[in-house]
Amino acid sequence: MTTPRPRRLAPPLAAFALALLVALVLGVTFGATSIEWRALLSGDETAQKIFFLIRLPRVLLAALVGATLAIAGVTFQTLLRNPLADPFILGVSGGAAAGAAIATATRLSLIPGAVPIVSFAGAIAAIGAVLVLARRRDYTDPTRLLLSGLVLNAFFSAIILISFSLSRQSDLTAALRWMMGSLFGATWVEVSAMTLLLIVSLIVLAAIANDVRMFVFGEDDARSRGVNVERVKLVGFITASIVTGAAVAVSGIIGFVGLLVPHIVRLIVRRDIRALLPLCAIGGATLLVLADVLSRTLTPSAELPVGAFTALLGVPFFISLLRKSR
Amino acid sequence: MTLTMRGAAYDYGEGRGLRATDLTLAESPQLVALTGPNGSGKSTLLKLLARVATPSSGEVAFEGKRLREWPAKEYAKRIAYLPQDPDPSFPMRAIDVVVSGRAPFLGRFEWERDSDYDEAARALATCDAAHLAERYLDEMSGGERKRVFLARVLAARPKVILLDEPLAALDVSHVQQFSSLLREVVDSTGSSVVFASHDLNWAAAYCDRMLVMQEGAVALDASPREVMQPEVIRRLFGFDAEAVDANGRTWLVPRV
Repeated sequence: MTTPRPRRLAPPLAAFALALLVALVLGVTFGATSIEWRALLSGDETAQKIFFLIRLPRVLLAALVGATLAIAGVTFQTLLRNPLADPFILGVSGGAAAGAAIATATRLSLIPGAVPIVSFAGAIAAIGAVLVLARRRDYTDPTRLLLSGLVLNAFFSAIILISFSLSRQSDLTAALRWMMGSLFGATWVEVSAMTLLLIVSLIVLAAIANDVRMFVFGEDDARSRGVNVERVKLVGFITASIVTGAAVAVSGIIGFVGLLVPHIVRLIVRRDIRALLPLCAIGGATLLVLADVLSRTLTPSAELPVGAFTALLGVPFFISLLRKSR
Repeated sequence: MTLTMRGAAYDYGEGRGLRATDLTLAESPQLVALTGPNGSGKSTLLKLLARVATPSSGEVAFEGKRLREWPAKEYAKRIAYLPQDPDPSFPMRAIDVVVSGRAPFLGRFEWERDSDYDEAARALATCDAAHLAERYLDEMSGGERKRVFLARVLAARPKVILLDEPLAALDVSHVQQFSSLLREVVDSTGSSVVFASHDLNWAAAYCDRMLVMQEGAVALDASPREVMQPEVIRRLFGFDAEAVDANGRTWLVPRV
């Protein structure tokens, strides 16, 4: 009998990267006006403007948001040992949405760039509150963490409802669009910020991945294998929450990516989090870029909420994989 | 190798936990059975030895150095611990479960090398589980899973192995196979094994030393022969048994 050898990461990584490449090409080509590649390459000014100022930043932002939500999702699921955990579970989305709703009610939203900043602050405040609530003497209790997130999300819903009823009708449309999730009006500033954040968070998560994967048999087992469980949890939760807060700030609330992508990737490639991190990043990027293409091309007159399409694409794919797996 | 507890206690509150305990596991490899009624502190004692829990008073020391002075990974290379019934939250192959026992040997960004897989394969073979390497845990029987987890603990080649109720939920023939496997591990690897168990007869049949716990303290630390006496069992477990000699050993049969 041959000795089993470490499984290589390169083959699945290459396959996933190819899928992302196809999605990116589809993403920059199709939209309200399709890009004529010939016109673009021959130096047509309108085509170049659409491509570089609107289409490319939007598609890249979709990829970056999808990637960050997916790595946050796989981190939460592994650390909490809970397959239902997702990036929004700790009240991050609620905090961000409450921030945006308050900005709308107080008309702060009329200042350009104010909504992302206020919503990011809301997300960070939510994480802080949840981590304090889940702390018991000298450790962070996973069950309390989930419960605290759930309760805080309900609290934030109340703030959102009150803020909306105090807001002017004319300001509500923009606020609602944001809450449904949208990549409309992506800028290069956002793309650069999210790129930097994704790189930094991937390095941080890779640095603790050897320890995070040991959580699979529970915290006591991980501790007995030399893992500093409390420190790893704190670094993991904070990193995953900050990237989620940033993703929400630039694109609103886009559900399902963080929950579904890790499951889809695990059904295709049964590996631990060290391999799942890069694969989920690419998988999440691919799913959101495709969902975004659909959201802007299906109806000619209006954009549909991209969050709806992540679910429309992801759920049937997930169900078919689930039925095939044992 | 010496692993010692000096006045080590652990308080869960409401008087539960472990009372100040002295214990020494010394040089020569031993198979030690840890028995006692439910809630008598067996799991807590193992957790303190494994450095999974920190004593609320007193101390635990290994090679003369207190546990908190040991770097976590260095300690994990020498002392291995298996919680009761570990269950992976996501599907895993046996070989990947076993190789994860090598985690303390890896650097921060380092993945398992071929040599780690060789160690894992060797550990699986020791546990008569080489044929299970590529199978997933969720398609295995309870007995097969126990072998895989024992292999995971062996993969680090530790000096001391701490097992929390490894015989729980096994049928009688697997209890015998697994008990004799523990004996083989001690004799062939030179590691000491401490295992918590409720099965007095099987524990006594194979072990060198028995620790009987009662209400958070070690009530008796003796050879199996000394423990397996009807009056001792009545005093410590509150149950009536009769001693029967067979196969050169003393077995306890409950009185009905």
